[in-house]
Amino acid sequence: MNAFLKKEWMEWNRTGRSWILMLVFVLFGIMNPALAKLTPWLMEALSDSLADTGLVTTAVQVDAMTSWAQFYKNIPIGLIIFILIVSGNFTAEYEKGTLIPVITKGLSRWSVLAAKAVFLYGSWTVLYAVCFGITYGYNAYFWDNGIAGNLFFAAAYTWVFGIWTVALLIFFSAVSKSSSQVLLGTGGAALGVYLLSVFPKLDAFLPARLLRGLDLLQRAKSPGDYHANIAAAGLMVLLCMVLSVGCFDRKQL
Amino acid sequence: MKMLSLSHVAKNFGEKQVLRDVSFSVPEHTVFGFVGQNGAGKTTAMKMILGLLPVNSGEITVDGMPVRYGNTPTNRFIGYLPDVPEFYPYMTPSEYLRFCGEISGMPAKETKSRCEELLRLVGLEKEKHRIKGFSRGMKQRLGVAQALFGRPKLLICDEPTSALDPAGRKELLDILTAAKEETTVLFSTHILSDVEHICDEMAFLHEGKIALKGSLDEVRKLKKASAVTVEMEYPEDTKALRQAFPFLKAAGKNSLLLEEAERLPELLHWIADRRYPVMRIERQEADLEDLFMEVVGK
Repeated sequence: MNAFLKKEWMEWNRTGRSWILMLVFVLFGIMNPALAKLTPWLMEALSDSLADTGLVTTAVQVDAMTSWAQFYKNIPIGLIIFILIVSGNFTAEYEKGTLIPVITKGLSRWSVLAAKAVFLYGSWTVLYAVCFGITYGYNAYFWDNGIAGNLFFAAAYTWVFGIWTVALLIFFSAVSKSSSQVLLGTGGAALGVYLLSVFPKLDAFLPARLLRGLDLLQRAKSPGDYHANIAAAGLMVLLCMVLSVGCFDRKQL
Repeated sequence: MKMLSLSHVAKNFGEKQVLRDVSFSVPEHTVFGFVGQNGAGKTTAMKMILGLLPVNSGEITVDGMPVRYGNTPTNRFIGYLPDVPEFYPYMTPSEYLRFCGEISGMPAKETKSRCEELLRLVGLEKEKHRIKGFSRGMKQRLGVAQALFGRPKLLICDEPTSALDPAGRKELLDILTAAKEETTVLFSTHILSDVEHICDEMAFLHEGKIALKGSLDEVRKLKKASAVTVEMEYPEDTKALRQAFPFLKAAGKNSLLLEEAERLPELLHWIADRRYPVMRIERQEADLEDLFMEVVGK
């Protein structure tokens, strides 16, 4: 498995995938506080034209919360980009047949799947941490993070949502033949869950709720309110992994 | 000792029956030719030996162990060269071979020496570029190196010579012959001269069944007595000969083909009695090509 992990690392670096993703997440990390910082200036620049339309702008108060609001608005986009870029991680190997020499050397399919899963979970974690860390750093420098409640709980819950999406991606990668099928499956499942969470009863335990970190920051909710969502996400991740191992073992390469 | 055996293996893809009833075995330290037309099911059979495709019925064993679809432990004994080998394009050949050593759990020191040895064997030792820009022939060479890497007990090559130029083909056949000392080779092909050059045993796959199998000599003996061509000096003699022996077939100017070679003495007697001048009497060489044609019924 270690050898295959090393191969994944080399693949990510040499195909430029890791650099692109790192760039995107770093940019997002910087953008959140930058946008917050720029808001008053933007408002001022626009105030004259806004006044013409009858809108009166007053002094805008920005703080760490404005930046965190940006963070929770942007991170789903970051996740979508991540999924788009890694959607071919398995299927490109099926299409080209590059796994055949590997499997026929006696490396177990389990090891291949495990290495890829570890790598995907790991890279989501690292990229997310980088984005969060940058925003956190800037916020602490410009304002005060103390204004936001349950900061780390909110961040961890959104991270769990990402893990849940990656688990879906791995499952669909184990059963599909092409990256478009993977995207359709993962996107469809995530969108389905998102739409279902419109119903408050379902929302209470669907993973989609984990994305709404702002409720926690504003202390509208407490971390304990999310136990059911975390448990459901955890179960689904587990189920996805078990099914993936089963399907990948029987997959025609 | 049998390295590989297939017994009553059948495979269908939906309605299409690809293999009906395939049974053969490959003894240790032989080069075994697996011959058949394009689409005869050679690749399918090989993929089943590797556990890459499920069998519908029958059993396959490698070194006495049954092959399972999916994760098969028998793959530890096998080196495989696919018909169109594909490798990670961002690696160099030596990086790829090192990766092969790592996934098969070979110690680092041995991996390094084996890597150098094999790159030299296939003539890629000076190649420092990434696999991305490789031609099919170069990939084929690397394919041979990776297949031999773990010193497999059984080497399976799927049409290894089809992408190579004549020189490369000769080299590859030499490599396979040399590999016989250490391993057992099963290779598929539709190029019969390759079989004649290097195989000890062979099997013809036709219409989902093994139509012929055995050692090269045995298979050759199966061929009926070869046809004989008789060429006469004068057209009128040819005509007379043909009238006397209506089963002769015309085979060009003044030439006649005798398919039932056992009647040759009769024919010669007749010619000798009449003192007809003969240009040439030639027995046609029995080669695998004819045999192949006979088997496939064309």
